[in-house]
Amino acid sequence: MYGRKACQLVKELASGEKGQLTLFNIDLIDQVIAECSQHHLELQSLIRKMQEQGLDVQTSRNADHYGALIHHLALVRNKRCLMAYVHNRAEVIQSLIWKVGPILPQQIEERLSHSEEEYFKKHSSALKSYMSRLELDLTVDMVPPKDPYIQVRVIDDIGEGIVLSDDKTANFAPHSMHFLKRTDAEQFISRGLMEELTG
Amino acid sequence: MASNPMDSSTLPTDDYETLISTTDVELLKRAWRNEKAAPEILQFETDLIQRIREQILLMDETVEEFTSSGIDPLTVSLYQMDLDRSQFLLRSYLRIRIQKIEKYMFHIESTDELWNRLSREEKNFARRCTDDLKRHLDETVLSKLPDNYQSVQKQSVISEDDDMVPKPQLDTFVVCRSKEYLTGIQLEDGPVDDRSKLFEMEPGVLYFICYKSIKALVESGKIDLV
Amino acid sequence: MKMLLKSSSFSSFLMAGQSVSALSLFSAEELEFIAEDETIEIIPNLRMEPLNLLCGDFGPFFPQIPTQVPLWLAVALKKRGKCTIRPPEWMAVEKLTQVLEAERDSQEMSEQLPFHYVEISRLLFDLARDDIPDVYMVRSLIEDIRDVRFHKVETDLEAFNGRTVAVKIKNLSAMEVNIVRPFIGRALQAFYKHDSPELIPDPERVSDRRQQVATTAPRRQLRR
Repeated sequence: MYGRKACQLVKELASGEKGQLTLFNIDLIDQVIAECSQHHLELQSLIRKMQEQGLDVQTSRNADHYGALIHHLALVRNKRCLMAYVHNRAEVIQSLIWKVGPILPQQIEERLSHSEEEYFKKHSSALKSYMSRLELDLTVDMVPPKDPYIQVRVIDDIGEGIVLSDDKTANFAPHSMHFLKRTDAEQFISRGLMEELTG
Repeated sequence: MASNPMDSSTLPTDDYETLISTTDVELLKRAWRNEKAAPEILQFETDLIQRIREQILLMDETVEEFTSSGIDPLTVSLYQMDLDRSQFLLRSYLRIRIQKIEKYMFHIESTDELWNRLSREEKNFARRCTDDLKRHLDETVLSKLPDNYQSVQKQSVISEDDDMVPKPQLDTFVVCRSKEYLTGIQLEDGPVDDRSKLFEMEPGVLYFICYKSIKALVESGKIDLV
Repeated sequence: MKMLLKSSSFSSFLMAGQSVSALSLFSAEELEFIAEDETIEIIPNLRMEPLNLLCGDFGPFFPQIPTQVPLWLAVALKKRGKCTIRPPEWMAVEKLTQVLEAERDSQEMSEQLPFHYVEISRLLFDLARDDIPDVYMVRSLIEDIRDVRFHKVETDLEAFNGRTVAVKIKNLSAMEVNIVRPFIGRALQAFYKHDSPELIPDPERVSDRRQQVATTAPRRQLRR
């Protein structure tokens, strides 16, 4: 059945989780490409047959014409599926650069084809070049800024004389309240030693 | 450098109050919101971005001076917060545009109207983008296909249009608001018998409308996307 | 043709109390960021020189003299114990009770609440609770108002008639617009796809590409 393999390619795309890549299916791609060549040969031989019969290829409408048309349409459909597969993956690769930066984690790299790895590097470099020309890093500041200081209450005794990033020292006695940088407080909050106050 | 329709010096002068009291940060915020909401890339705000960058630079230096000259930390942190807010808007604005270029690179490159909306650096980026992606597509698929089927943009040599290129959907519906009373808006899409109707917008009221119908009004600054 | 927009995802949003989804144009943080530029009145308890910020000039600040500043600035000063915040006049029990009644009595959205009422009230509840008289009552009223409004939006969408080409959305707040935007957008588009005689191709969806086949008889020009 024409187009089944191409359909499989597209299904693979759709079945994966959004933004994730599966292993590049080089075998399936090769098979679909081979099908394309096959369609092309058939198409050409039908055209030749019509020409040998002295028929005007552009206007004649016989069985061979329609046969050739089917091969053309099948080829084109295969092409669209191939392109969709590769293009979609390329889009995911682009989004990865924004998410993980210019170095790919190994488990993702394993799933890319050689050409995709090259593409990743080139696209990263294009972005980097744009940003450096502007002298602006666009991969930071992804969420709106908030007041860097927050109010906290100490839950457990943390101790005295703790030095903070703004060179102040604090005594974190239980139940005491403080006004500090979110970045300083985070380590204590995450260990349950402090809580952020609202209101 | 082409004159920028959104430049504050060409805003409708009947709104003088707004004109003199609108800061560049306000204008940047408006440009950011429009860019976020519009399906296609909009005109790059060359003059505005240049002014903003200068102001941010100056302010950055001011904050450093304040810090080293012992101005009270409260004042310093307030100036810093204001600076952070403007920096965020600037970066987000540029980022949204770059991501639109990534998404629609072939379409933008081959459509003059869109290509001319890019900044010079964006154009360089876009060219590299299309080169890199084309090469990748060629190597992985296109060069292995039969002749006549190797184009990136067209399915085959007999295609009349670029039928393989992702394009933004201009018939997306967007939320918008006008500052003035607008009449005579031709609705581009929708049920056939409605298409000839002319639409009006009251100022300050929100509307859901097909982007195509108001494209030109967004570009001229008469309508804001929300 | 009546459009039923009781799409399951929309209703379950409201039930889950979620105000933002992956489909929303603006994240909750971005909505708050935009709202933080709204001005509000503060009463400083210190003296401070004028602030010549990028977003505008504010001050000078004198103890006990009310002045207008952007919300983000008000909240920063409040947190540091440098001012009290005067809640906006709509954030009062009497006024809100009136608004709630009006919302319940009419299918129309009240125009008495500012565009950013949700974000403004949330910020003030979090950071200036002690400046709001009857704060628990105020908060409860605002929550009720939100609920009533949400259900009105939902029924408005249900009654929406596809003959309209553009929708006037009177008096929706920023957050309501942000939630409703992807649903209305998609629904309107779906209508035009059915109404229009030609199929509107969706270039993003691969399965649609089948329909982009040339409809004229192909003229094959083979290269020799």
